[in-house]
Amino acid sequence: MDTQSVKQYYRQHRKAIIVAVSGLLYAGGWSIGYFAGLNTLSAATLILAAIIGGYDIAKTAYHEVKSRTLGIKTLVTLAAVGAIVIGSYWEAAAVVFLFALGSYLEGRTMRKTRNALKELLEMTPDTATVCRDGDQKEVPAREVEEGEIVIVKPGEKIPVDGEVVKGESAVNQAPVTGESAPVHKADSDEVYAGTINEEGSLEVRTTGSGTDTTLQRIIQRVEEAQEAQSPTESLIDRFAKYYTPGVIALSIGAFVVTQNAILSLTLLVIGCPGTLVIGPPVSIVSAIGNAARSGVLMKGGEHLEQAGKIDLVAFDKTGTLTKGETTVADVAGFDAAANDVLELAAIAEKKSEHHLGDAILEAAQNRPAGVTDGGTEAVQADTESAPAEARSVPDPDDFDVVAGKGVIAYHDGREVVVGNRKLLDERGIDVPDEVADYVREREERGETVVHVVRDGVVVGAIAMRDELREVASGVVQELQDAGIETVMLTGDNERVAAAVAEEVGIDDYRAELLPEDKQAVIEEYREDGHVVAMVGDGINDAPSLATADIGIAMGAAGTDTAIETADMALMADDLERIPYAVALSKATRWNIFENVGLAVLTVTLLLAGVLTSYVTLALGMLVHEASVLAVILNGMRLLRY
Amino acid sequence: MSETTQFRVMDFDCPSCASTVERALSNQEGVEDVEVHYSTGRVEIDYDDNVADPATFEQTIENQGYTPQPA
Repeated sequence: MDTQSVKQYYRQHRKAIIVAVSGLLYAGGWSIGYFAGLNTLSAATLILAAIIGGYDIAKTAYHEVKSRTLGIKTLVTLAAVGAIVIGSYWEAAAVVFLFALGSYLEGRTMRKTRNALKELLEMTPDTATVCRDGDQKEVPAREVEEGEIVIVKPGEKIPVDGEVVKGESAVNQAPVTGESAPVHKADSDEVYAGTINEEGSLEVRTTGSGTDTTLQRIIQRVEEAQEAQSPTESLIDRFAKYYTPGVIALSIGAFVVTQNAILSLTLLVIGCPGTLVIGPPVSIVSAIGNAARSGVLMKGGEHLEQAGKIDLVAFDKTGTLTKGETTVADVAGFDAAANDVLELAAIAEKKSEHHLGDAILEAAQNRPAGVTDGGTEAVQADTESAPAEARSVPDPDDFDVVAGKGVIAYHDGREVVVGNRKLLDERGIDVPDEVADYVREREERGETVVHVVRDGVVVGAIAMRDELREVASGVVQELQDAGIETVMLTGDNERVAAAVAEEVGIDDYRAELLPEDKQAVIEEYREDGHVVAMVGDGINDAPSLATADIGIAMGAAGTDTAIETADMALMADDLERIPYAVALSKATRWNIFENVGLAVLTVTLLLAGVLTSYVTLALGMLVHEASVLAVILNGMRLLRY
Repeated sequence: MSETTQFRVMDFDCPSCASTVERALSNQEGVEDVEVHYSTGRVEIDYDDNVADPATFEQTIENQGYTPQPA
């Protein structure tokens, strides 16, 4: 080792070395005095231990005094100097050593907590292979420009946010969404910087690089969340404003009465509200860091504390409890062929842009196969053949959307109405019993049915299904087991809602709701004294998410608005994160409570101990530092929750 | 011109230490706004670059006994 590396080693481990040297000198000095009786040598060694261990502390104290703040380091310096002045050398060395050791351990453990996020940051590779001027070039990842094509080989990390233009692969998105299972990515799928390309080679058109990536935004968001003060923190800060002067007054009073300088310094040192103020931030930083690594973004400590009180979770149905992939389950023709009914409905719905309309259109286009279930996954897996078979559906001559009810279109001189019972009743269209029976039967299975009407006559009906997520009923059960009420909100009619609610096992449901009604329902629950969480997609449900005590947005990875507005954002479409997030919030509340309790208990006992002279300066320091460490370690348990 | 610079201090050992650093930095001439976050170790300084000398920021943090790193 040359001098350079020795110096560097010293600089990196300065605090640890100082603590170790001071500790050894302390132990040595004490032994020399106790076993060998060499009192002068012992005193000298102990003073040296205090000076080495206390140099940095005293330096900071000097700067504290210069900037007119009264910090713990000033108090510790005063206490040590005071102890030396009255000849208690071992006590001076002990106080300094214990404080330096405590600070070192506290700084070290907090660094671990702070580093939890850095791991995420380091997920992004430094360089990227881009196609420039017909060549492949290795460039720094942050210099890749929007629109440039980046090549990602199997096993590599994706360096930028972008869209797949060539190739197919399984991508592990855990750093961004927390999902452990790889996601299949092919043409025009979105990929995120920091995720891992596991199988095939991908060509990606860049949409964001450097600091303008989803992962970077997540990290920034998480940091803001960790820095935001929670209600408990603000309360403690306000309390400390009165408490700290109170302790100073007490120690001055103690000095006036007892004339014992060491006693009043001891009071100052152990009376520091360190344990109290350190608890809540450590718990919250750990919990938010843990959540981020599992793909759950929390807006801040305030929301985390609030989420710990949730006693009712309201789910939006479509896209939240269900997969949000509506497919045609059945087509019935009455006085017409089923095929013609589907064709007619598809023409009418072609321009509607409604998700039910999309399902009908898709079914009509893929008609020859006749298979409509299997949903998008089947289509995605078979991207080559699907477009080839697709049939074209003619445009309607004219059409009108009746919000929440259906469409009215004209084609080939005929009027086509596709809609629910309300629309038909409104237009005075007679619904034969045969049709009504069919509709009831399908609705009781949780399917949504539309009528198809040609020139005022019902010619058919189309039943559509949006499969429940496999995990939905398990998630509802888990929440119920945790004593939380569950409710489903939906725009579907009563019969469909009842069928779905029963299938999921949810406690209650509200049907036939317009988006603004959902908001009103949430408000009602809140007025009943519930602490309400609302789970939705973050865009259509934005108003009800905002009204709820805690708005939880699903599948937020690609949508920045959802991340911005929701109190809690699930990066993946993973419902199972909800019981986890709620449980973590509850654990955090409890953890904060434990930490505050421990702090108050320790300070009370120490104060009593000092005033009754059971607790000396060194012992007080030992207990104080131990309690700070205990609180930090307790808070850090949440990192591994 | 108002400028912003950031540091990372990973070795804050107590919330009040962060406040002390915040106080020391804001006492410097030309410093307009300082945020020091104990929980993340992030230090953000807004300053007037005609008056303040950003080179002294690191020294100030070191004087308080902590190690600033580039953000």
